[in-house]
Amino acid sequence: MITVTINVNGEKRTASVPPETSLLRMLRDNLNLTGAKLGCDVGDCGACTVIVDGKTVNSCLMLAAQADGRTVLTIEGLATADRLHPLQKSFENYGSLQCGFCGPGVLMSAKALLDENPSPTVPDIRDALGGNLCRCTGYTKMIEAIQVAARAMRGEPAEKTA
Amino acid sequence: MRAFELVTAKDSRHAVALLAELSASAKVRVIAGGTDLMADLHFSSHVPDVIVDISRAEDLKNIAMTGEGLSIGALVTHTQIMRSPLIRDMFPALVDAAHTIGAVQTRNLGTLGGNLVTGVPSMDSGPTLVALEAVVSIAGPAGRRQVPLAEFWLGPRKTVLKPDELLAEIIIPKQNLSKPTHFLKFGLRKGQALALVNVAASFRVDWDKNIFVAPRIALGAVAPKVIRALKAEAYLEGRTVTPEAMAEAGRVAVGDAKPISDFRASAEYRKDLVAVLTKRALEGAYELAKAKR
Repeated sequence: MITVTINVNGEKRTASVPPETSLLRMLRDNLNLTGAKLGCDVGDCGACTVIVDGKTVNSCLMLAAQADGRTVLTIEGLATADRLHPLQKSFENYGSLQCGFCGPGVLMSAKALLDENPSPTVPDIRDALGGNLCRCTGYTKMIEAIQVAARAMRGEPAEKTA
Repeated sequence: MRAFELVTAKDSRHAVALLAELSASAKVRVIAGGTDLMADLHFSSHVPDVIVDISRAEDLKNIAMTGEGLSIGALVTHTQIMRSPLIRDMFPALVDAAHTIGAVQTRNLGTLGGNLVTGVPSMDSGPTLVALEAVVSIAGPAGRRQVPLAEFWLGPRKTVLKPDELLAEIIIPKQNLSKPTHFLKFGLRKGQALALVNVAASFRVDWDKNIFVAPRIALGAVAPKVIRALKAEAYLEGRTVTPEAMAEAGRVAVGDAKPISDFRASAEYRKDLVAVLTKRALEGAYELAKAKR
């Protein structure tokens, strides 16, 4: 067994896991953070996307041991108890999710994009979501919602998007 | 996933010591970004006994100019390549190639060294580096040895690395710094797609005579490994730079390719792609050469 300590959503958490444990399995099974989803488990679908030290990763492709000592943000860390993140609010307003399975991953990809680029173009957004597969809602409403959230986060008034 | 033992290397020297010690009696694999290995561990029945984690070896994460040329550490990620001011300035083709790999999440994790070591013939890092005559520096128990990248692969997923060796550094030689180079990939989608064919073309122009100098063309996904299109290069060497010459070089390059038919594309389709992409890659490199003149 390997002892892994990560700073997740602002809190220091430790777990003892077998060496072959992925970061995703540790988050879900040991830390009870089940927001990141287990989809393909081989890095294709993006449902497990979390942010490690500011960068999105497929948490299914990272060993838990490789995350030891690092800072992890999951969907559970995006909203506070009384307030949704502007991206979540915007996804809600625009009906950007139906079944929602891809949602936690999509939102983390969108969050990382806006952290680095507060004014993304549509091609920027499409590139940022390239690793997140959605099979029901489709991407158009997500792209709209991200544009609106970006505008809100820049402090600009809401405006109808394409 | 089946069980294995995991050891973490502090730096490249430690990693080589671990590999030398462990590989004598066990089946050992190295993990860096994990984007290939973690998927392999799911699908393959060959689970290693031990995995050496090199992802914390800081000495393999540098991008720097040295006396030999541009040195890129094996653990530099595709995202870091895309954002390096040095690489963006000298080799936009490397930035374009990195951008076509997987998606943001896999580019944040995946490393240049990993892409080369995995050794799939459709790898997107390969053609540009082969066209630029890159050399790889391999760390082993007796120190470093250098091998031209084009000779690093023995076939699909096979390299010259011995069990106690580690790919440490990729070097683009001094004489090719800022050499105009263009990379193109044709996949079935823009994101998360393997190349049906990828091509890099690189040459300088003798502007007094308006001729090709040192043309280099590398093709991916059309042979057991990334190959040079030697017939097309020979056709262009010393020839006057014209659109017709670039188109003809594309047709000649088809003769250098030995593609197979698989579920992604037929051999015939890949051959057509080689002609078109080679021509366009040469045109792209020429635009860059004019801009840098």
